[in-house]
Amino acid sequence: MRTLKNALAILLAAVLCLAGTALAESAQAPVTINFWHHYSAQSAENETLTNVLIPKFESENPGIKVNAVSHEWAELHDKILVSASSGSLPDVARCDIAWLPEFQKMGVLVSLDEAMPDFKDASGQLLDSAMSTASIGGHYYALALNTNSKILYYNTEMLKAAGVEVPGTLDEWVDAVTKLSGTNANGQQVWGWDEPALSGWNVCPFIWSFGGSLTSDDQTVATGYINSDATVKAVETFAKLAQGGKLTGFNSGDIPMTDGFGTGRYAMMLEGPWKVAELAGAYPDVAYGTAPIPAGDGGSVSVLGGEDIAMFNTLNQDAAWKFMQFMTGEYAETEMAKCGQIPVNKAALTSDTVKSASFAPYLEAIKTAKARPTVAAWSEMDNALTTEMTQVISGEKTAKQAMDELAATFDELLKK
Amino acid sequence: MEMRSRLNRFQLGALLAPGLILFGAFTVYPIARLLVVSFCDWNFGSMLRQQWIGLDNYREVLRDPTFRMVFVNSVVYTLVTVPGQMALGLIVAMLLSGVRRFSVTFRVINYLPVITSWVIASLVFRYIFNTEGLLNYFLTKVLGVTSQNVRWLDSRWGGLTVAMILGIWKGVGWNMVVFLAALQQVPQDLYEAAQIDGCGAWKKFWSVTMPSIRGTVLFALIMLTIGGFNVFTSIKMITGGKPAHQTDTLLTWMYYNAFSAGKFGYAAALSFIMALSLGLMAILQFKAMKNADG
Amino acid sequence: MKSKKGKWAALLRYLLLLLGAAVSALPMLYLVTTSLRPNGALYEYPPRFFPRPGALTIENYQYILAQSKFYRNFLNSAFVALTSVALAALVSSAMAFAMGKFRFRGRRLLFGFIILTMIIPGTTMIVPQFELATKLNLVNKLWGLIPFYAAWVIPFSTFMIKGFMENIPNEITEATWIDGASVMTVYLRIALPLAAPAIASVSIFDFLTAWEEYPWANTVINDTLLRTLPIAIAGFFGQHQFTQWGYVFAMSVLTLVPVVVVFVTCQRFFVQGLTAGSVKG
Repeated sequence: MRTLKNALAILLAAVLCLAGTALAESAQAPVTINFWHHYSAQSAENETLTNVLIPKFESENPGIKVNAVSHEWAELHDKILVSASSGSLPDVARCDIAWLPEFQKMGVLVSLDEAMPDFKDASGQLLDSAMSTASIGGHYYALALNTNSKILYYNTEMLKAAGVEVPGTLDEWVDAVTKLSGTNANGQQVWGWDEPALSGWNVCPFIWSFGGSLTSDDQTVATGYINSDATVKAVETFAKLAQGGKLTGFNSGDIPMTDGFGTGRYAMMLEGPWKVAELAGAYPDVAYGTAPIPAGDGGSVSVLGGEDIAMFNTLNQDAAWKFMQFMTGEYAETEMAKCGQIPVNKAALTSDTVKSASFAPYLEAIKTAKARPTVAAWSEMDNALTTEMTQVISGEKTAKQAMDELAATFDELLKK
Repeated sequence: MEMRSRLNRFQLGALLAPGLILFGAFTVYPIARLLVVSFCDWNFGSMLRQQWIGLDNYREVLRDPTFRMVFVNSVVYTLVTVPGQMALGLIVAMLLSGVRRFSVTFRVINYLPVITSWVIASLVFRYIFNTEGLLNYFLTKVLGVTSQNVRWLDSRWGGLTVAMILGIWKGVGWNMVVFLAALQQVPQDLYEAAQIDGCGAWKKFWSVTMPSIRGTVLFALIMLTIGGFNVFTSIKMITGGKPAHQTDTLLTWMYYNAFSAGKFGYAAALSFIMALSLGLMAILQFKAMKNADG
Repeated sequence: MKSKKGKWAALLRYLLLLLGAAVSALPMLYLVTTSLRPNGALYEYPPRFFPRPGALTIENYQYILAQSKFYRNFLNSAFVALTSVALAALVSSAMAFAMGKFRFRGRRLLFGFIILTMIIPGTTMIVPQFELATKLNLVNKLWGLIPFYAAWVIPFSTFMIKGFMENIPNEITEATWIDGASVMTVYLRIALPLAAPAIASVSIFDFLTAWEEYPWANTVINDTLLRTLPIAIAGFFGQHQFTQWGYVFAMSVLTLVPVVVVFVTCQRFFVQGLTAGSVKG
């Protein structure tokens, strides 16, 4: 009997909890839009979003509430795919520009120039080059939100101590990375270069600067491009440095990028404008400088990144559109600029805040940066690239073998 | 008790119904659906169009070299962790059954790893085995066993080793409890008889203890083998399958295919291949135990 | 009358047990001491097991507890776990009684089938279960977790409780039965109270399963406020550029505390129940 009473008590408690949560939910405003992003939970961007931008938006638009959810970058991509298949997509999401072709092919994005009457007004405020990332097949499926590229960061102390100049060419770079690696005063290992992963975002700058490429210009063929001599040379150089213990960061056990650079274990890295705010917050004492990516046969070519804010075909499109316009508006873009997010809003770019944020080196890099292939199968290609790179570094395959195999895989995927 | 009236038959049904409905809807139906999906071509792209393609998914799985690597990983993991934790659990149980003071304390402490969630335990181990972590410091500077930091988490066997150590560490307590109970059931007079026959401790173990707890050993063996193949969270948290899926086990590889690569049909076929392998292993273990009867 | 040899043997026993307990406890201790260190000190050199006395801090805990999210996550986990356990206990004990004490056609087959499904790893069913959850509109809701958790633990729970039920001497149940009581009466008045220890210990298992479950919860739950603790912890960890071990571990300790408390107070039930089911099995 006691067991029964206990069981009933538990059930009652559970029911009460349920009632409580139901009540809490029904007390909310009429329209709630779900906004998914990948600002990391502890970042300055997320603080700004949660404490500055969303409250302002909600006060200007009573009747709309924004439910923002932070997912890790790779997880966000997977979650969107899974949600698409189960009909539980968010209303708006901040997507990496590389994902748009894939999502558009699945038919879950809204063609904004057709659906929204005031589209031209909104897009007119933004840089044309950035908006081009949202254009697929003659229609626009998102508004540009940020643009960025990566430049070289170096630890001034470490370079001085090793008597190394800031590398301007790729040959100098290999030299510098080698000289900067070794052990520090504590007897701990230090590395000349940190690369946090082996995907396209990480290796493409090297491939391009060495004069290689991923695909043909029309993005239909990869053989002859991904396995060209220049590409293979880039991969080989990279892998040799990794094998020699001069370059690391992509292993599970490695020190994370910011921690490593901030504590003087990594001498140099390639990163974007958001790193400035991160370092200022966590490691304000480290002295560092920036420079363009070292030039090779292909020039000094970095990778073009950026995020667009896209709308999914859910029911709250009007509210979602208002939020998108707000996020790409001058106010929001300027606020985010303070966190190191380069705005694409023309008015924001002329503001004092942005001018003083010293985005100049990044804007320079953006001029010559290349975009990763804008094909629907890019995610799969990226995964294959990572696998091949891993195998080259571990010595299982030579760079030529790996790139030849990758060419075959890419050709298959590009056909889709 | 025999059924008497229609009312009683109805009540019996009422006792069974809720459980069967819950179980049927949320377990049996998904399993059936999984079987169907495994015969279909169902990828993210072909969301609404699920065509019947027969055994193609199964063929694709079996031909995939990554599948073979991942299968080996799972088998090695199971072969190491299951006997490992059973042996250690049995040893601790035997040690404990002879002491009276602090036995409860020891039991509780040894059971703590079992009640620690996989997420938390995996993260702790990841921290300990980090290339810059405490264990490496201990090995290089304090014990001087190696000169360079061991890259535990960065390679296939390194990562799997950490996962296996975690698996054993986490399971010993459960085995301890199970075997403690079993040991208490062994009739004391058997031991006395053996003592009289002049048996040493070793012989007593093999001739008296082992045969008496055989049922428990089989139970633990089957449950732990299923558990070994079910390893998921620890791999995800410790290496995430890196580098390049080399530390993936069957389940994490299945998850990747389902949710990152979007190949639902492939993932379903993989699941059934796993289930069949497990079933086969369970049957073999059962038979082996029966034969050991003599 | 312990001989000299007996004394040495006992000493050796205790030493070995102490060693074993140390191995079990050390990682957990390290978890706690790390959570008491400031975040920035985590890459200090040389790494220490115990932090310097002056360096102990509770700032990690303060940070976690200051976030209202944490309480929400905690409540979510509690709600989901308790409800799943209650549900599972009710239906499993009912089924265990029905199958353990009555002979009806297909009983063996039914029980065998239920047990057989344990061969299929739960995580493999995520895809069709997700499809089902979508159809039932349970995605991104806590109720998308509860019935699945309950269904998952039914085979094991039924198995354990049935073993216990079968051990209840038939005379006790027969007595009431012969007097003309209905099935329900025997169940509610006799079987349930007697099987209470088994149900309790199985429930503790089930609670643990639901409290710490990660793959399914990660798939179903999207909203930050609906997350359960395991997802919240993994979320803290998932950021690539920064690993804030201090926060991760502080949250972990806070997650473990209720579990340890429950276990230590109920550990007698636990062992009893586990014993009864497994030895019979």
